Amino acid sequence: MERYWNEEIECMSREDMKKLQDERLVAQVKHVYENVEYYRNLMDEKGVKPEDIRSTDDLHKLPFLSKADLRDAYPYGLLAKPLSECVRIHSTSGTTGKRVVAFYTQNDIDLWDDCCARAITAVGGTNEDVCQVCYGYGLFTGGAGLNGGSHKVGSLTLPMSSGNTERQIQFMRDLGSTILCCTPSYAAYIGETLHDMGFTPDDVKLKAGIFGAEPWTEEMRRSIEKSLGIKAYDIYGLTEISGPGVAFECSEQNGMHINEDNFIPEIINPETGEVLPDGEVGELVFTSITKEAFPLLRYRTRDLCVLSRKKCSCGRTLIKMTKPMGRSDDMMIIRGVNVFPSQIETVLIEQGYTPNYLIEVDRVNNSDTLDISVEMNPEQLSDKVKDMQDKERKLAGAIKTMLGISPKVHLVSPKSIARSEGKAVRVIDRRKLHD
Amino acid sequence: MADVRQISVFINNKPNQLNEAVRHLKDEGINIRAMSLADTKDFGILRIIVSDTQKACDVLKDSGYAVIITDVVTVSIPDTAGQLSRVLDILGSEGVNVEYLYAFLGTSEKSVSFVIRVDDNVKASSALTNAGIIQLTENDIAEM
Repeated sequence: MERYWNEEIECMSREDMKKLQDERLVAQVKHVYENVEYYRNLMDEKGVKPEDIRSTDDLHKLPFLSKADLRDAYPYGLLAKPLSECVRIHSTSGTTGKRVVAFYTQNDIDLWDDCCARAITAVGGTNEDVCQVCYGYGLFTGGAGLNGGSHKVGSLTLPMSSGNTERQIQFMRDLGSTILCCTPSYAAYIGETLHDMGFTPDDVKLKAGIFGAEPWTEEMRRSIEKSLGIKAYDIYGLTEISGPGVAFECSEQNGMHINEDNFIPEIINPETGEVLPDGEVGELVFTSITKEAFPLLRYRTRDLCVLSRKKCSCGRTLIKMTKPMGRSDDMMIIRGVNVFPSQIETVLIEQGYTPNYLIEVDRVNNSDTLDISVEMNPEQLSDKVKDMQDKERKLAGAIKTMLGISPKVHLVSPKSIARSEGKAVRVIDRRKLHD
Repeated sequence: MADVRQISVFINNKPNQLNEAVRHLKDEGINIRAMSLADTKDFGILRIIVSDTQKACDVLKDSGYAVIITDVVTVSIPDTAGQLSRVLDILGSEGVNVEYLYAFLGTSEKSVSFVIRVDDNVKASSALTNAGIIQLTENDIAEM
């Protein structure tokens, strides 16, 4: 039987949810306009006043915020509460430029923990469970979010953080962890290490995993489920909006329910900013309607996905988002074609390769080059060079079919591509160095 | 019928990769009797016949290498002109296809030994036996 953390909200009728969102949005816009000069200026420039926003139907009138705004306003420019009421910060990794710092009041933390508690409950977690959190702890939201959710649910929480994989497995075995929370690439690595240590999935008690913070594919889900003997669930979030738990997967394992009592989603055309109807692919935009300290309105996530209100077998009525199909940041334009690493990953797994790969893009004589190094499985080795070259050619052909452009494929030894214990580095774009 | 096991090791095309693989064998006191390195722009395949096949295979696998064992035919022939050609003629007349071949490293004054990778070991081996060509066993190789 499906269990809910907050059935009233998670299974609320569409009318009641809209009413709740309308009330919260109106109050939030007023709160932001009064306390955040940066956003007030944006609204004034657009000629929008708080009283123009009377319900979620008026949401489209509000100006967008982007990552660039967050950088411009660093560190306090979007803060809506006095620091005396703030109790914590979290920060993005800063890999794409200046860091973004988000602030939280105690109430913000409580609501966030609640979102993560819903996610843990949705994968079957209760106070009988042992929840091993190996997302990084610290500025990164992953560790803190799932840690808070696990506390709320009452699970025994193992605050492992990432790294020291053999020790992770030792704790997993000694304390009987039942739920694993980490990045999907780390989950895959734990699975490999478990195997290397001579164990099978029967040697651990894990039943479910909550994996997020980086893109992963259905094929990767199946391979993790097999290697750890679990059900693998997706979770979505971003520091700017709160952290993991903005959306979470249920027993259907087909898209993530957005905690829309806290975050109103929209899908827009990334070029024009026009709002698109449910069912169309576009950029995901979030409006925080309960956040106090760092309430972002119409924040552009850069994640491309689809929203759906189709009835879900789990009974939740919360709107669902598909797994992001790519980030417009990750999207590479190679020889004029849009390429997402997730497309390449899909082909690799279909063709029986590991999802361990490195994409290198460069420009030689004004023409883009695409090189993909792929770890082979030991059993794919042949003593004949021709067989190995055939494998490379076949894989390159399959990738060409998917992308429409030809890559150069390079097979490399098992485990020779560096593993990350946080976010995986899968793309090196050297063209940027020349520009 | 005297199949000899050849070990093939996948070598990344990076500095020191071959060196490292060979060093693992040295550390275990394993002697390489015959070797060939097939290389492409991207990777190499090191093929070796060693004094202790199982041990070599285990140590390479434990060190993370992709390793595969293939049965090959080995011949020991007089070190005079035309002998290898004779062996290839025998195989050719039986319709046995030779994928590749390479020589053993150590030779006596009178004979020379080759590793021959064919598409049909049984057919190759019986044809060579019928023609009186000496084939090596793994014991012969361990004692070289």
